[in-house]
Order: sequence, then structure tokens, then C-alpha cells
Amino acid sequence: MHITRKEYLLEQKEKGRRLMGVFPALYPREILWALDIVPAEIWDPPLEIRQAGAHLQPYICSVVRLGLELILQGKCDFLDGFLFPHTCDSIQNLASVIYDFIGARKPCYFFYHPKIPHGHTARDYYLKNLKALAAELKRQFGPLKMDSLREKVDMGRRISELLGELYDLRAARRLDASNEAFYRTIRKGEYLFPDDYIAELEGFLTQTRSEESRNGATIILSGILPNPPQILTLLDDLDVQVGHDDLLNGSRRLLISNEKPGDPFEYMAECYFHMPPCPTRGSSISDRMRHLLSLINATGAKGVIFNVVKFCEPEWFDVPNLQEELKKRGVPSLVLDTELNQGLSGQMKTRLEAFIEIVRVHRESITTKH
Amino acid sequence: MKDLGAPLLFRIMEKRKKKRLREPNPFMGPPLKCAGRLRQIMTRHYYLSRFAKGARPVAWVTSGAPVEILRVFGFYTIYPENHGALCGAQKMGPELCAEAEKKGYHSDLCSYARIDLGHAFSGKTPAGRLPRPDLLFASNNICQTVLYWYKQLSHQWDIPLITFDTPYNFQEIRSGDIHFMVRQFEEMVPELEKISGRKYSHKRFQKIIRIAAETSRTWGQVLAAMKHRPAPMTIFDAFVHLAPVVSLRGLPVALEYYRVLLNELNERIEEGIGAVREEKKRLMWDNIAVWFKLRDWSHLFAERGVNFVAATYTNAWAETIHHLTEESPFESMAKAYSLIILNNNLSHRLKLMEKMIRDYQVDGLVILSLRSCKPYSVGQYDLKRLLMERLGIKSLIIESDMTDFRTYSEEQARTRIEAFLEGLGV
Ligand code: SF4
Ligand code: SF4
Repeated sequence: MHITRKEYLLEQKEKGRRLMGVFPALYPREILWALDIVPAEIWDPPLEIRQAGAHLQPYICSVVRLGLELILQGKCDFLDGFLFPHTCDSIQNLASVIYDFIGARKPCYFFYHPKIPHGHTARDYYLKNLKALAAELKRQFGPLKMDSLREKVDMGRRISELLGELYDLRAARRLDASNEAFYRTIRKGEYLFPDDYIAELEGFLTQTRSEESRNGATIILSGILPNPPQILTLLDDLDVQVGHDDLLNGSRRLLISNEKPGDPFEYMAECYFHMPPCPTRGSSISDRMRHLLSLINATGAKGVIFNVVKFCEPEWFDVPNLQEELKKRGVPSLVLDTELNQGLSGQMKTRLEAFIEIVRVHRESITTKH
Repeated sequence: MKDLGAPLLFRIMEKRKKKRLREPNPFMGPPLKCAGRLRQIMTRHYYLSRFAKGARPVAWVTSGAPVEILRVFGFYTIYPENHGALCGAQKMGPELCAEAEKKGYHSDLCSYARIDLGHAFSGKTPAGRLPRPDLLFASNNICQTVLYWYKQLSHQWDIPLITFDTPYNFQEIRSGDIHFMVRQFEEMVPELEKISGRKYSHKRFQKIIRIAAETSRTWGQVLAAMKHRPAPMTIFDAFVHLAPVVSLRGLPVALEYYRVLLNELNERIEEGIGAVREEKKRLMWDNIAVWFKLRDWSHLFAERGVNFVAATYTNAWAETIHHLTEESPFESMAKAYSLIILNNNLSHRLKLMEKMIRDYQVDGLVILSLRSCKPYSVGQYDLKRLLMERLGIKSLIIESDMTDFRTYSEEQARTRIEAFLEGLGV
């Protein structure tokens, strides 16, 4: 597919679909799809901050600032509404700033997901919230047919399978794709309707599946999203593969459930509680550490890069403990404090290159005791 | 628990205090007589905490958490945020923050969290020593930050963490949210029984709820006293006198204290004694206090005949907690704790500020923009604009941190405050 995100969304609108601007990160996209709504996720629009500064302090992360900038510059005028999942304090207040004060002249929806990562109470509550969101959306976007929801849940499942396969192949070094191409493709899921996304992923799998095993060093990329994209191209230039990721807009959103879909809402709830650990869902450090180690084991990665968005509290709090635990196990790690869309400074580039050198010489096997 | 050594400690402190006594400020009214009693209560609380370990289960609690439930099981409660404020006031913020930063915690993170982690790593504290907790109890009704922060302590010390999850009120509170919170309370009870080794007693719980609600109501009356002209107290006093309703809520000592304070304020009102000798203008404060500037700023404003008579921050413990009822303790607790200012949408905050500006006859607003605290600070620019549009109220935004003065610029703040006061005509 060679059209831009904007062109694609406008095309969808012409087809009669509705468009929903969705802020990061976790939301039940299947419900939107079933209502013939295309979620257009807003993570890192390529803009310069000009107007958002009048509403947000400079110490707010660039995901939030850029998202607001996109609205203020009128670039969301063609959307039919906004959805704000309760990801963090900054998104929480941004939702209220937009809904209560700025008046985006669009319907705004809010989706709270529990911050207790386990247990019946949290699960029941999540289930109720799924249904409450569906009921709210139905009021504006028309009937929600259960058949359609089932079909979209199946599509979501198919997407997870394809993504799972891509991630697995990459972990086994049998994917002939650059880091840049991998994430360019994966991130199309931020706006493609599921049938198009499935086609995109299938095509990419066919093109990139490889019988031969790739060489070169492997690392794990952790953080919110793979931005600045120059990190990926630098890793490509250095012949280093991201073996797996622990990114909020990457594998932390992979829906993993062995259960067969029965009741679609139950299934969505099941998937939510089986997602890989994430601080925005209240996961503990030990769960996160166990998960990171499993990614390291699965890929033979020799280092971890924490690419942390500046001012992102959910991420920054966990980093010291994770780094410490990795250090105990002899896994080198690098922490980058990044502003989105600002490219790689000379200093960041040098640090990354130096880190890759360390990873390269660090060939001895890594103890990954749990 | 025995009050071992506390009286001796107070005597030593009083002696030290006498040595330190500063000249009274000619622009300010006589200091509150209650201040000494408050100091004693809080010193005793921190002092006894040293001996709590072993005698009582100890919990570290976030400032907005429904502590009443812990009191049923006899937990000795420590409030790291209150401790953070203490460190801030003692100008120890940067030192303790640096301890956390040495361990890799970013200097952009909330300074209360950094102070607490810094204390956990180094043991440094102006309070002598804090007991290590048996339980960490966090509620995200003030921020998500406390969840990230308490998770670190839980991991570091391998101590259980109970989270009370309060869904954010994007619009009105929903029945499903209340149900979710009530169920969490029900699930907490057996866990708390296990950790504390004590049985749940509904009767005890009701009594605690009654005291907590009454304490919050009385604290509300204390604040409401500042509606009078001249206000008998300043918000800088209130920031300090807030400690019992935050840290000792549900215990008789806090309620008794506020009754005494309220009497004193009423006497001052009768006698026409103001906190500022010549009260020309009245201001409202938005956000947490700048602990290391409390004294300087109270003098600075008093010199110009300006008093702070209201604050969204001090109001937080008077706004909803008095709704607790012993008839439905869990449900009323769910509502009271999830409707507090920081867990409520900004439209609610705007209405609240408008009401406070009117009720307290406020002439201007000082907004503290805190890089430490996203939930308090995101939205302030719009609040400022809307309050100006609706009420014509002038306001000033100051950038600072509440404890970590490394990011604070005295010169810049002074210039802005001076210009603001000139704009107010004082
Ligand atoms: S980058 Fe972090 S702080 Fe910013 S929106 Fe995402 S989770 Fe929130
Ligand atoms: S200062 Fe703000 S971020 Fe820090 S603990 Fe308090 S409410 Fe949370």
C-alpha cells in the first residue's frame, strides 16, 4: 500500500466509515471496528510544537504535546471523535483539557482500564467498562451487531497471530527485514482497518520470511515507541537487529490468549489480562523483569536499550531497577532520554555506537537465572 | 505503645527553639498559639514511629489513601509525602533527591518520590529514623505516580503493596466505578487481617469513620474561618496545620487538635486579629506548597498587605472526606476518595476554584506550576485563562518545585511576584 496515512483515512471516510482519533495506548479496538469506526492512533505526529505550549507546560512529554498540537493545528478536523484511554496522569489531564476546556467540537470518550493487573475484581470491572464503552459508542455510531463484533474479534486474533509470527521469526533471526521496515509495517496497525492490516502483514511475512539465519548482534528495545526513527536506521547501519521489543506501541499490546473466542467481550477481557507486562497497567517490577529475561532468552539478545520518552513517569520509574537486575545478570543496557521527532543528537549517536561495541564484544552467554 | 522519651525530646526541642527564636515580623499578626501544640503532635508522631516496629504493624500510605481501613487493624501510619514536605521545609530536598538520582532515578520525577527513595537508600531524614513498613498502601486518586513509586519500594524491600484503584472521573462518577472500589475494600480486609494479625471489627471501623469525617469537617471550618476579613490565619499556616488531617486522620488526636485551633481562630475573629496586620488584598493559591519558601513568602506578601486566604490544596482534605458515613462506610469511602480534586475532571476544578474565589473574596490567584506533579499542573494554563475570562481575576504562574530548589530561580520568581503585586495595586 503506497498511500499516506491521511490519504488512507480520507479514503475510508469516503467509504462511509467513521474515524476516531485515539490517544495511547490500550483500548478495545475490536469494538470500534465492529461499529465501522477506523481508529487513527495519535502517538508521534511529525509536527513542530507551536500552539500546544499555550496549554501545556514544557515538562509534559512530547506524546501528549504533539497530540494536542495535532488537534490545535486543525489536522484532526476530519475525525469524528476522540478516545482517551487512561494511560497515565498526563493523558488523563490532557483528555480533560480537550474535553472540558479546548472544546474540540467532537465527541470525546474516555476508557479507564484497571491499574490492578490481576484478580476477579479487576477483570469484572474491565469487562463492565468494555460494555459501557460499547454502549456509549453505539449511541453515536449506530447499532453494534454481535456478529460483526465476533468477526472483528476474529480479525484481531488473526492480527495477533500474524504479529506473533513476525516477532517469532525475527527472534529466531529468520526475518529478512531491516529494523526500519519492520516497525514501518507494524506501525501501520495504528490506522489501518483490520482487513487491510491483515493483508499488509501477510504480504510482509511472505516477502521477509527467510530460510537462512541472520547474523549480527541482537538487542531488545524497551520503551514507549520506536522514535526517533533514526535509532532504527542507525542500528540497521551497524548491522544490529532488534530481536524483540518491550514497547508500549509494539509487543506490549500483543493480545495473547490461548482461549478460543466465545463471548467476544469475555475474550477481549481475557486478552487484556494476558498482555505482556506494562507499567501503565500496574505490572510489578518482577513481572516486567521476568518478561524482559524471557525476551532475552528467546532472542539471544546481548543488550537492552531503554529508549525512554522524556518526562514519561511510568517508564522512568521502572528503569533503574530493571537496569540493576540486568546488570546482576551481566546484560548490558543503555538508557536514552528522548524527545520525539528530534532525531539523534551527536551525543546520543556516539552513546549508541559505543553501546553496540560493548554488546558486540559481550559474546559470552548470558546467565538468565530467574 | 509507651511514650518512651518523648517528653524529654520535647524539652530539648523547646530549648533549641528558644535559642532560634526570630524577631516577630511587624507586618504579620501574632503567631498562632496552637503552633507549639501542632509541633508536639507531629514530633511525637515521628518520634513514636521509631518504636512502632514490632509493637504495631507499620504502613506507609499515600496522602489521598483511605487510611480509615488501616486504622481498624491498628497500623501505625507513615506518610512519605508528609515526610517529603518536612524534608522540603528543612531544605533537605536536593540532598535526598540526589541520593535517588545516584541510583538512576531521573531528576524529572516527582520530588516527593525521589526524597522518599533517597531516604530509603541512604537512611537520611530530619525525623531521626522512619520505621520500615510491613505494608505499602497506595491509591492513585492523587496520581498514578504513587503507584510507580510504591512499586519500587515494594520491590526493593520485598514488602506487600496494596493498591486502591480509583477510576478517574472524566465526567460524573459511575455506579460501576463505585462497585469496583467497594469490592476492592472487601478484598482488602482478609489481606489486612493477615498482615496485621488482627481481626476486622465493624464497630471499630464505624468509630474511626465517624472521627475521620468529623476531623475533615472541622478542618473545613478551620479553612472557612479565612473567609473573614481580616483572615485570622494565612494559607501558609494552613499548609503546616494540614499535617494532622493528612497523617493522623481517623485518630482522636487530630480532631481534638482542630477543635482547639478552630477556637483560637474564632477568638481571633472576635478580636479582629488578622494574620496580616493590614490586609489589603486577598489571594488564592493553586497547587502544593513550596515548602522551602514558606516563611520567606509569607513575609514577602505580608509586607505588602497581602494575605493568602484559600488554596485548592488545603481544601482537598475538607472537600469530600466529611461525606464518610458509618452507615455505609465502604461505599461512602469509595465516593469520598474518588471524588477528590485530583481524581476529578478539570471542569470540576474550574467550578470549585470559581466558588472559592467568590466565597473567600479573592482578588488574585497564584498558580504554582510544578514539574514534579503532572496531575496538579496539566490544565493550569487553561484554568488561568478561563478564570480571567469569567471572573476577571488576575493570576500569576510561578515555576518551581515543592522541595527540590535546584530548579528554582529566586530572581525570576521575585521579579514576577513584584510585577504581579504591582498589578494588584499594592
Ligand atoms: S510517553 Fe509516557 S507520559 Fe507520555 S503519554 Fe505516553 S505513557 Fe504518558
Ligand atoms: S506531588 Fe503530585 S505526582 Fe507527586 S505524589 Fe503528590 S500528587 Fe503524586
